[in-house]
Amino acid sequence: MIHLIIFIPLLFALIGLFLRGQARASISIFAALASFALTAVVWIAKIDTVYRTPWIPGAGIFYSVTFDGPSLLLALVATLMTSITLIYFSNRKDSQQAEGMYPLALAMLTGLLGIFAARDLILFYVFFEATLVPSLFMLGLYGRKNRVRALTKMALYTIFGGLLMLVSIIATKLYSNSPSFDFLELFGRTSQLDLETQTWLFLGFVAAFAVKLPLFPLHNWLPDFHAENHSSGVADVMGTLYKVGGYGLFRFALPLFPAAAQNLQWVFMFLAAFTALYGAWIAFSSKDFKRLLAYAGLSHMGLVALGMFSLNPIGMAGALFLLAFQGVYSSALFLIVGMLEERLNKDVQNEKTTSQALEIGHVRGLAASAPAFAGVALVLWFASIGVPGLAGFIGEFSVFLGAYQANPWATALAVSTVIASAAFALTAYQRTWLEETTTTIPELNARDWFVLVPILAVTVFFGVFSGSALKLLEPSVQAVAGLLGGK
Amino acid sequence: MNFVAPDVNYYSMLPFITVLLTAVFATILPFYVSRKAIAGLSAVGLLVALAASIGLWNTNLSSFYGAYRSDNFALGFGIVLIVGALIAVISSVDVAKRGGTMQAEFFAILLYAVSGTMLLASAHDLIVLLIGFEVMSLGVYVLSSFQETAKSEEAGMKYFLLGGFASAILIFGIALVFGATGKFGLEAINTAVLSPEFKNSSIAAVGALFILIGFGFKVAMAPFHQWTPDVYTGAPTVVTQFMSVAVKAAAFAGFLHIFGLALQNVSGWQTPLQFLIALTLMIGNLAALRQSNLKRMLAYSSVAHAGYVGLAVLASPSQGFSSALYYLGIYTLMNAGAFAVLNVLSKDDDGLEIESLAGLGSSKPLLAATLTFFLLSLAGIPPLGGFIGKYLIFSAAASSGYYGLVILAALTSAVSLAYYLRPIGLMYFRPRVTVLPDFSGRSTRVLLVVCAAGVLILGLVPNAVYGLLELVKK
Repeated sequence: MIHLIIFIPLLFALIGLFLRGQARASISIFAALASFALTAVVWIAKIDTVYRTPWIPGAGIFYSVTFDGPSLLLALVATLMTSITLIYFSNRKDSQQAEGMYPLALAMLTGLLGIFAARDLILFYVFFEATLVPSLFMLGLYGRKNRVRALTKMALYTIFGGLLMLVSIIATKLYSNSPSFDFLELFGRTSQLDLETQTWLFLGFVAAFAVKLPLFPLHNWLPDFHAENHSSGVADVMGTLYKVGGYGLFRFALPLFPAAAQNLQWVFMFLAAFTALYGAWIAFSSKDFKRLLAYAGLSHMGLVALGMFSLNPIGMAGALFLLAFQGVYSSALFLIVGMLEERLNKDVQNEKTTSQALEIGHVRGLAASAPAFAGVALVLWFASIGVPGLAGFIGEFSVFLGAYQANPWATALAVSTVIASAAFALTAYQRTWLEETTTTIPELNARDWFVLVPILAVTVFFGVFSGSALKLLEPSVQAVAGLLGGK
Repeated sequence: MNFVAPDVNYYSMLPFITVLLTAVFATILPFYVSRKAIAGLSAVGLLVALAASIGLWNTNLSSFYGAYRSDNFALGFGIVLIVGALIAVISSVDVAKRGGTMQAEFFAILLYAVSGTMLLASAHDLIVLLIGFEVMSLGVYVLSSFQETAKSEEAGMKYFLLGGFASAILIFGIALVFGATGKFGLEAINTAVLSPEFKNSSIAAVGALFILIGFGFKVAMAPFHQWTPDVYTGAPTVVTQFMSVAVKAAAFAGFLHIFGLALQNVSGWQTPLQFLIALTLMIGNLAALRQSNLKRMLAYSSVAHAGYVGLAVLASPSQGFSSALYYLGIYTLMNAGAFAVLNVLSKDDDGLEIESLAGLGSSKPLLAATLTFFLLSLAGIPPLGGFIGKYLIFSAAASSGYYGLVILAALTSAVSLAYYLRPIGLMYFRPRVTVLPDFSGRSTRVLLVVCAAGVLILGLVPNAVYGLLELVKK
């Protein structure tokens, strides 16, 4: 079952390569939906997905995969959002010119599911880095004018961090005398290591995850990545889902090196809080929707890191919740921007009109002609800035609650982002949708609703009934927090 | 006085003899048959040798009182060398299409060189090892000046002069080691060094340093790499392809044997080797960044890879041998594959400008896709074979405690990504500017697909081969 979930997307991506047009679109959407449906079955029927077999026995490397609570939640979000995004993309007029998006998005989905499922460190590393390749191809093939620069930046940041993690992974096994790279065999042993060794190994992992989160000052690749990607937003959604740094911290770095994590807690909490504030601050002065959303995402990731480094169950559960659901509503905002761009942009090939379509305040008062569109956008913005009743609130609130117990000062710094993000989000919203009307756009059509309704439903449902998602996270969070000495 | 028949086991030398016989036939037959037939004959000879190597697996036969051994180490390297030679033979078929003349002697000399490389990998005695080393070198000197152009002749001459110098230093080193221990056999040297009466440790250490320099030259380690870019660029592309994989692999086989078996308990060479590796990693990768010609870029990248494999020489033999062999096997597929693509795309032996690759993804999808595979694998991106190779080497070196070097290797391989990604970016993300020729025949296209599949399979199911490699451990 778990193998089907992980590899169906890749398999259909390969099949899709031999098809053209509608057939490729249909088969790709089918693959993503099938993967989602199977993941949902695993969730609802509580199927045991533990699987472990030697991969390179000589080197102690196992093909070890499981979907436990946090993995399952993230896998559900990834498969759902990929399905929705591909459906959205097939509705677009320019989807014929960028057909490669389908197999690339599916290849990325396999990589993401592998990241969430892997329990062996080397296997995790393989999925973690391999996912970069389709991501780079998406940017390189369909990105905008300065894509090669953005691509090089992203690749170098990621690989530098990744290779340091690889060295750390190898050293972790050697220092802990573990027979394998399997997490279960490692974690009891690594906690016995002395503080200095733990700290160095921990920093190797953090190098990779801080780039991927991203955390200030390693965030520089992110704005370019989003700004230069295809204006449809497909690559942005996949990029948002690929922000697995927070998950990596929770799954590997924190439980493996608890003493180092506790020792460095305050440094990373301040760094995370600063990242959150900094992201919101820069977002305020962004002139371009993609950059705005990139910095808004950076701000969210600061909060995720803050929750993780609170090292207590409330903060970590909040961080995972936020990580999962920002994958829904932040991704959806990229789709909203894509829909807006499609309505405003007369010539997709033209760099100038594309930039204008993505510029904040270039057109105003769109709510007059498309009130429902404006309403949906508002709900998603509200979710993003953590308005109660929507999914964003639960995550942010738990993060603050947990973080406050660990470090009130860093938390105070981070809480001010709530105000800052309300400021940038509402300003951008007001300038585009309200004020005096300069342009009219078509209202949402049935296909757009088909894409947006599931997203809205998830955002509202888990904002009100967060219990089912939190219950999924709880056992793992308690276990990790127990290792870290949290209550 | 009783006559004692020498210990000669022809079975143990079957692959070697096959290659040598094929070489003899390839020398005589060009008077009677076409060039193409000789190419076919060479390929068949190599395939038979390949089959013989596989057949001898795990038999551990030896000959000449253990001076020549067909243990799994030698056979594994033999297979890698034969595959490297096969790729060169197949690639050479395309050269005729662009008007380059690959005379039939090419195959004879290539096969003689291959026999030298195989001897080098099987030798357990410094004299046999030296003979293999010299046979290989002589063949490659001739091959690199094979094209009658000033550049090719300059390359051959440069290689010959510097190579002769390096050989002299190597022989001097061997003489010193013999002087210190009184032995030529690799295990015997180690026994002599370990014995309590051993007093010549300083002479042995100086000898080890000289041997280090000799091999450092052959595998292109900085600062003895200066010849590499010029010779690799000047030599015919097919020869460069052969040199960059087979000669390097064979030299590393000897390198690993001498330092892993004979001199592992001699002190004094480990620290200089660490400096050589660090320098090689930095110079190779940073210089490759600045190249505009693909052939030269690959030349510098092969210098950098010598640095990665060098880490395996530092590691303990039990892990170093198998990881180096695995790495060199994958390296042979990916590097020779990249050179094969370069070979069919360039109009002469000067290689091509990286910029001219722009737009290749849409005009030559197969060549672009396979080159992408090879470059990504060279960069060590999982799940391709290059990643597993790099992992095994890093892991072997780390378990011997060389963390600083491993971190340096990791950082420099992140740098290498910049120059490996650039051609890929150009091929797929830029419109076509120049129209490149395409000399690829069917055999080359099949070869490229096989190499790319090999790179992928060695990455996805490394255990299929690595399991066998466990047997290489001593």
